[in-house]
Amino acid sequence: MSTATATENSIGQVTQVIGSTFDAAFPEDRLPDIYNALIVDAELKGTKVQVTGEVQQHLGGGRVRCVALGSTDGMARGMDVKDTGKPVAVPVGKETLGRVFNVTGDPIDGRGDVTTEESWPIHRDAPPLESLSSKTEVFETGIKVVDLLTPFVRGGKAGLFGGAGLGKTVILTELIARIASAHGGYSVFAGVGERTREGNDLWLEMQETKIGDTGRSVIEQTTMVFGQMNEPPGARLRVALTGLTMAEWFRDATGADTLLFVDNIFRFSQAGSEVSALLGRMPSAVGYQPTLGTELGALQERITSTNNGAITSVQAVYVPADDPTDPAPATAFSHLDAFIYLERKIAEKGIYPAIDPLASSSRILDPQYVGDRHYAVARRVQQILQRYRELQDIIAILGVDELAEEDKLVVHRARRIERFLSQPFLVAEVFTGKAGKITPLEETITSFEEICDGKWDHLPEAAFMYVGGVSEAEEQAKRMAEEAG
Amino acid sequence: MAKARAIVKRLKAVKNIRKITRTMELIATARFKKAMDRATEAAAYTKKIAEIVADLSKADLSFSHPLLTQPEEQKKTVLLVMTSNRGLCGGYNGAVLRHVMGRLKDAKENGEELTLEVAGKRGQAFLKFQGIESDTFYGGFEDKPRFDEVDEIAQRYIDGFVSGEIHRVDVAYTEFLSSARQQAKLTTLLPLGQLDSADDEESSRAVDYEFLPSPEDILEEIVPAAFKAQLFKCFLDAAVSEQIARMVAMKGATENAGEMISTLSMQYNRARQSQITSELSEIIGGAAALE
Repeated sequence: MSTATATENSIGQVTQVIGSTFDAAFPEDRLPDIYNALIVDAELKGTKVQVTGEVQQHLGGGRVRCVALGSTDGMARGMDVKDTGKPVAVPVGKETLGRVFNVTGDPIDGRGDVTTEESWPIHRDAPPLESLSSKTEVFETGIKVVDLLTPFVRGGKAGLFGGAGLGKTVILTELIARIASAHGGYSVFAGVGERTREGNDLWLEMQETKIGDTGRSVIEQTTMVFGQMNEPPGARLRVALTGLTMAEWFRDATGADTLLFVDNIFRFSQAGSEVSALLGRMPSAVGYQPTLGTELGALQERITSTNNGAITSVQAVYVPADDPTDPAPATAFSHLDAFIYLERKIAEKGIYPAIDPLASSSRILDPQYVGDRHYAVARRVQQILQRYRELQDIIAILGVDELAEEDKLVVHRARRIERFLSQPFLVAEVFTGKAGKITPLEETITSFEEICDGKWDHLPEAAFMYVGGVSEAEEQAKRMAEEAG
Repeated sequence: MAKARAIVKRLKAVKNIRKITRTMELIATARFKKAMDRATEAAAYTKKIAEIVADLSKADLSFSHPLLTQPEEQKKTVLLVMTSNRGLCGGYNGAVLRHVMGRLKDAKENGEELTLEVAGKRGQAFLKFQGIESDTFYGGFEDKPRFDEVDEIAQRYIDGFVSGEIHRVDVAYTEFLSSARQQAKLTTLLPLGQLDSADDEESSRAVDYEFLPSPEDILEEIVPAAFKAQLFKCFLDAAVSEQIARMVAMKGATENAGEMISTLSMQYNRARQSQITSELSEIIGGAAALE
């Protein structure tokens, strides 16, 4: 793809090491370009030091400042630095399927080398304006609350926002289980700065899960890239790009529908902020890097569907201190088609997925795309829940008895809707003991419509917990009545 | 700052609510004392008159008053519902109306021609919402029901009952047992027969009265009076119970609001503090980066 520049193989020396960044001096006329990969391959007192760095700044006087993509432990001044003459390139192609890579494109699953025809640099331009796809189509997930209130866009981007421990990773895994197992195309999973254990769990699970009835496991159609919490910030900063580059190849070269899962985009911003001060940039709002918007924009704009092929992406976004106005999640928000916000109060009630039906939204929740009926039902559900939320203070102070009759009915239905938004997950089967439920969109709409109309007012609240369609709520109510005698 | 401001707004709203509920609590306390005096006075009178009627009906008389006899038919019934005109009284109306809904359901199943009479706007609003129209509505009863108003209604029932247009009169109201105990209940006032069994001190009071001019004349006077007193007592009881219910509900509400104010204040202080901290650290960080 990209050709090596004239500075290839020029040798410089490390002049300074500051945490996960380092400076190197080159001859003035052979200065490596910004984003070029530099390799340190040296030995000091019997310890091998092998680090790849990425040029971030030209400091003047022949010096460049780099971010290390690996650990800088053992690095010392005076070590030789070799310019590769091009940015970090990672292998792309069908050979990458079923394998696990690190940020520099080396396989880390212990199954030997990966040889591909091509390798692409991780820094690329976003697709040009005219080649962007303008199709808008609903992407069904079988999760009631998602399909009804925040419908996903085929070839679009969806974000899962939530504080610590609200189940972002669980929902993401669930989506992989639901979408990838029914999906014919390729999937790429990028693990950015999350727990290594979760990555391992996912890898093992993908080997077990089969795609439809084909008998092939999901992993055979999936490429995984990890730069988890244990990696230095440079790796976490670039691993999302590595995964994305691999996904771009599937989109551009095969034209297949490609899925890109990223867990967690916030760690990308966080890694950027960790190296930002070391690179000598002045911190901006809440201590983030001043280039937060640029960095995220460069990544997000590449995750897009073109006329050639589509990338449907689902990204988890950690919300620090449950504050969605924090610059990192707030910046990510504007790039997404569907926005799912996980709320701690809902998780505290034991309702999972803890999706906030009022804070979450989708660009295509519009009669033009989802149809009038779907839109009307979704809005009614939101209205009822909104009214319930407004009444909550009054109920807390004066009690339910003081409400007007209309409001009592709203509260009555809202409490049922709230519980009906829960759903048993396929991946949570081992924990909950309840079989995962895939609810078709049509059934979801009908169920919510009937609840709003008051057809199921007579069922107890608990009957609506963890069921698929509303007919299952009825069965659950019967079962509960029998158990109670 | 957006979050802190939102909390301040909520805090103000809750403080206003607390002001209102505390005032309501004080007013209800004042009204309750007056209403209770009236109710206890009336209770003594009602009790005595009920005793006399009971004694009279026990006296071996060949004569019987029409209000004491059970009509053969039970079809045309009247249900008088006593609720409050104002809200903010907790479960007071809800408890009465639960009885009413049960009674209305029974009436429908038995095929009764039920005439629904409602006192109190709250009850009417509830029934209207349930799609039930009341036949007569009394909105004039506040915390001091007057005897002449009740007398008018009672007279209408008596006339209806005697002429056979009404076979039974039920009242749904909140009985005042003590200042700590009130109970929503549904009782049959007409025919009057049921009321005498309430007294079990009869053995000690088995006095043989001499009636002058004649038992019939006395019965003619005293039975309607007893019914009116009964009905009046229902209204008085309902009035006292309403004030008590309001007092209790408002006390709870004031406490809840107080609790909410303290949690909100804490949240606000925290939000404000963290905002100051982050601004400070930004400034310090920025200054340090410039050095």
